[in-house]
Amino acid sequence: MPTHYRVSADIGGTFTDIVYQDVNTGACGATKVHSTPENPALAVLEGINTALSSYDRIDFFVHGTTVGLNALLTRSGAKVALLTTRNFRDVYTIQGNNRGEIFSIRWNKPEPLATLEHTYVASGRIASDGTEVEPLSEVDLEVFARAAKTEGYETVAVCFLFSYVNPSHELAAKSYLEKRLPGIPITLSHQVSPEWREFERTSTTVMDSYLAPIVRKYLATLMNDLGTRLPKGQGLHIMESNGGVMSAKTATENALQTLLSGPVGGTIGGRTLALQTGRKNLICVDMGGTSFDASLIIDGQPSRSNETVLEGLPIQIPVVDIHIIGAGGGSLAWKEVGAVRVGPQSAGSIPGPVCYGTGGTEPTVSDANLVLGRLNSANFVGEMALNTDAATASLAEMGTEFNMTALQMAQGVVDIINAKMADAIRTITIKRGIDPRDFSLVAFGGAGPSQAAALAKELQISEVLIPVHPGAFSAWGMLQTDMQHDFKETMYGFWDLTTPDALTAAFAALEEKGRAYMLAEDIRAENIRFERGIDFRYYGQEYVLTIPVPDGVINMKKIRQSFDLTYDKQYGHSSPEARVEMANIRLAVIGTIPRPKNSSPLIIEPKPECSRQVYFDGKPRATRIIDRASLAIGECIIGPAIIEEGTATTLVPPEWKVDMIAGGHLVMKNKGE
Amino acid sequence: MSKADPITTEVVRNFVISCAQDMNASLWRSAHSSVIYEGKDSAVALMDEHGNMLGQSTGVPLFIGAIDACVRIVKEYYRDDINEGDIFIMNDSYMQGTHLHDVTAVGPIFHQDELVGFGAARAHWGDIGAMDPGSVMGSTNIYQEGIRLGPTRIITRGKEIREWFDHLRLNTRLEDATIGDLSAQIAAIRTGERRLAQLLNRIGTSVYRNACQNIFKQSRQMDREAIAAIPDGTWSRQGYLDDDGVGTDPVKVCLTLTISGEQLKVDLTGTSGPVPGSINCGIKQTESLLRLAYKTMINPERAITGGSFETMEFHVPDNCMFNATEPAACEWYFTGLGLLADLFISCISEAVPERSTAAHYGDSMVAGFFSVDPERGQWIAIEATAGGWGGRADSDGESALINLVNGGFRNIPAEVYETKFPVRVEEFAIRTDSGGAGKYRGGCGVIRRYKMLEDCHGALWFERSKTPAWGLNGGENGTGPFIEITHPDGQVENIFKMRARVCLAGTIIETMTGGGGGNGNPKARTFENISCDVARGFVSREAARIHYGVVISNTGEVDKTASEPRVK
Repeated sequence: MPTHYRVSADIGGTFTDIVYQDVNTGACGATKVHSTPENPALAVLEGINTALSSYDRIDFFVHGTTVGLNALLTRSGAKVALLTTRNFRDVYTIQGNNRGEIFSIRWNKPEPLATLEHTYVASGRIASDGTEVEPLSEVDLEVFARAAKTEGYETVAVCFLFSYVNPSHELAAKSYLEKRLPGIPITLSHQVSPEWREFERTSTTVMDSYLAPIVRKYLATLMNDLGTRLPKGQGLHIMESNGGVMSAKTATENALQTLLSGPVGGTIGGRTLALQTGRKNLICVDMGGTSFDASLIIDGQPSRSNETVLEGLPIQIPVVDIHIIGAGGGSLAWKEVGAVRVGPQSAGSIPGPVCYGTGGTEPTVSDANLVLGRLNSANFVGEMALNTDAATASLAEMGTEFNMTALQMAQGVVDIINAKMADAIRTITIKRGIDPRDFSLVAFGGAGPSQAAALAKELQISEVLIPVHPGAFSAWGMLQTDMQHDFKETMYGFWDLTTPDALTAAFAALEEKGRAYMLAEDIRAENIRFERGIDFRYYGQEYVLTIPVPDGVINMKKIRQSFDLTYDKQYGHSSPEARVEMANIRLAVIGTIPRPKNSSPLIIEPKPECSRQVYFDGKPRATRIIDRASLAIGECIIGPAIIEEGTATTLVPPEWKVDMIAGGHLVMKNKGE
Repeated sequence: MSKADPITTEVVRNFVISCAQDMNASLWRSAHSSVIYEGKDSAVALMDEHGNMLGQSTGVPLFIGAIDACVRIVKEYYRDDINEGDIFIMNDSYMQGTHLHDVTAVGPIFHQDELVGFGAARAHWGDIGAMDPGSVMGSTNIYQEGIRLGPTRIITRGKEIREWFDHLRLNTRLEDATIGDLSAQIAAIRTGERRLAQLLNRIGTSVYRNACQNIFKQSRQMDREAIAAIPDGTWSRQGYLDDDGVGTDPVKVCLTLTISGEQLKVDLTGTSGPVPGSINCGIKQTESLLRLAYKTMINPERAITGGSFETMEFHVPDNCMFNATEPAACEWYFTGLGLLADLFISCISEAVPERSTAAHYGDSMVAGFFSVDPERGQWIAIEATAGGWGGRADSDGESALINLVNGGFRNIPAEVYETKFPVRVEEFAIRTDSGGAGKYRGGCGVIRRYKMLEDCHGALWFERSKTPAWGLNGGENGTGPFIEITHPDGQVENIFKMRARVCLAGTIIETMTGGGGGNGNPKARTFENISCDVARGFVSREAARIHYGVVISNTGEVDKTASEPRVK
């Protein structure tokens, strides 16, 4: 029987990474092709063709897309009309009052996706307990419908006050407008985000309205170009911001969930790595050209949030926490008042680092690494030859002011950027009450494996993991996840006045929705499970903590204790005597996707070993250059060494050693340990 | 002293900024009071052994510059008697400048038995034992505002001095939160201590000290270059606060700014003397405000260090509300500082036209409602209200934004407000036409209308009706604040400040905050901008005609023949 595969694609701005897994053996391979932004499916098809030379043995296909995110970043979404409650028209423009930069008097709020001339109002008011204070005005709906026709809006977002308690006005508006505006998609706030806070909910609703047509169009093209080539058209999946996956068909109705579809793959890969290697706490860093994404695996699970902010606009959707730091291979070194600075500005891909020879004149971190011998000038991503002389010259010129040689300057630039990245990671962990020294560092992305040891040293982390296929690790991670969808409902009240019956009934209603969702995704009933949670806080506080609620009968006392314990862990103290209130209930429904056990990578014919000069702490050292494909499980390499593979370079400094472990991952440790 | 090369200097420079962020993260993480971990009413700093600022992180912009003063005060008071593990606290308004709620903790940092620096953490304590719970509104001397602490050692060589902790407990209505917040401040200082030790173990004290000197030198040089680039001259501005909170007379504020070479001088001569109400401000917080105003105009994107602000001198007369001495009341010390900042920024605006920025709406504009009825439940809803900011040399002022001395305060969503409190938020909207007309328009204030659904208490503190945000370069003034209270019996009342009093169910309180001043001739504003303003509701059609000379048709088009031509 011919081999069948599960395939994933991480579609980036420049490259598309493809990872394929043999469904019988679990072994994976990876390839990288140039992206085709006009129609991303073309690159995916090319990649699959290169790797597997056929499309008909693919059982499951998942990909991460940046189509929605790009439409937001370039402000090229749909023309949206916002309909909201009278006297509250300006909520979405006013936003939160607070100033984004506290020392600036020039700071402006982010431009809303529907400005005030595209915002309309209707009379009608619901109170906080759901009772109707004033009926919805049909006259206002008619006025709006006429305006919407005249203005030619592509989509309509409706957000009325307290619709999450009583949605009748939003539903009535939809049924009226559907007749008057046939073919125009209408998004209702209580359906996109049944949660309080009118600005945040409006922002979420408009964002969905703004992006949905773009994402739908993309998905239609993809299903047309790709779906038809997959057997039975099945198995076309999209990565979600929450770390789960959904079918392309479901994604059509959940455009928002695809927003952070790209980068979460790496974190989910980290979760699998934690499970495979028996390590519970990981700091995952994905370092590319311009940015550096850091995320945390704590107790085996990715750290998640119930809302996020993109382009300054809040979105109430659950996401895997990813902290983006402006540091990467392209970070620029520059001078002012007799001082050296590195970043946060980046050379990007245009003009790019000096060594690319594409117009860059200011030295970057990549130039410094090249001069130090840490990059192979002949073998770089995309088979671009790098110009070492130009990089050296730019660093030498910068060094003249400080009496430093090009080599000293190069080492300095790398030291500064490493210290900056370490500082940023430390701040993220301290906020959560975590000591980075208790974690292992997982480094991937094109530039991650070369900086990892130095970064670990700065953070006093004793162990570094360089996973299999580090250059395509996000794509690898996408193959490791299950279907997941999140439901929520605002249910506000004092915990001591809440009954277990009311909670059980509320959860049961969400579970029914969840079950229906998964059955529609072709998940069998026995593969569906639920994770319940409640948002809690001490009375008088604003922020909440989501506390898991175990399956079975609801034990009010235990849940309360669990909140105090979690609070203590997060903030270092708790108040078990204080009154507690709940704000929302949450339900994650998970549909298990069957998948093979991961095994070690497919062995390819290795390149012969060689050696070159690499600089460590200013001194040249003869350094072995090893092809990663030549390493056997259990093999140990003593630094200094460089381990090369198609998409990344792992630097093993002199005081480090590295072991190849089961699964094909590298574990780097200090020699002394 | 060993020399620090440029690379080490830059690593240390990034370190001190990040170290301060870690200290603040640690404070926010473990504080007990939501005003600290949600309102971010706190500041931390890492300093060298002389009290020179190295890195700081603040949630409140106004805390930019007074924390280093506390270290100097502690050093002067205790001299050689400062030991490893000690913690000192202080809150005295005349020493550190702020109101008594703000308590600053200071701890020396030692490395291998040598004093290498100080960590400090300031936080707003919810109750400091004043005559009223929480914040006082009608105080006329400092003894009504809570306990006063000069520099006070509360931990000696790592050991708590029990009687001081007990003393603090006995002087607050919120014992646990107070001690909890103090512990969080101490934790922040310890975080700084640990982080600095890691760095010093690697690079050594001597290189570190040299790197610090280099960092100060960089900041100094950047500031000098920035001031030197401004033409020499002297500029003066004055304005009036509505009243001092207990009387009715306006309170005069004057500022004169002189640039000569690399120095900037500020003189507050002409400003009112101390007033009976609580808007007096200690000298250190006056200095802090001047630093904040300076920072908004000079190198705003740069980190603040011990080398910053050396280019600024200031003179505040002894007999001045901004140089408060015993027994002047200081609880609302910040209310006059917004006006002072606007005066400063207007002076620089004349000197540097390309950075010119008109005045903003100016104060925190606090509206609070609460119930102390034990049977119906106790609750408190208090918020600062956003307003309009001044037009700039090249762009409009922002609308509905929190005032300069605050930073992170957010409005309470109507859905949260109504769910938690028996109050209906009837309207929250941009206040049309409140922004001053100009080529670049002032931002608009907001309208926020509350209806009481049950009997409760209300309190208000609104300002800047007598000197609303002024325009620059031919731009018009913004509209000042306005409040209308409609009682259930139909009586209407217009006031700006209201000490806590009963609001019966059915009372409607409509607050309107002021807009920012305009910048440049309104007749130079483009037709496109004005039609957009009208479409978005920032400007009414009538105001477009009166202030801008532009006629907008029923369909929103500019009637160019009926409109006045645009000027350059």
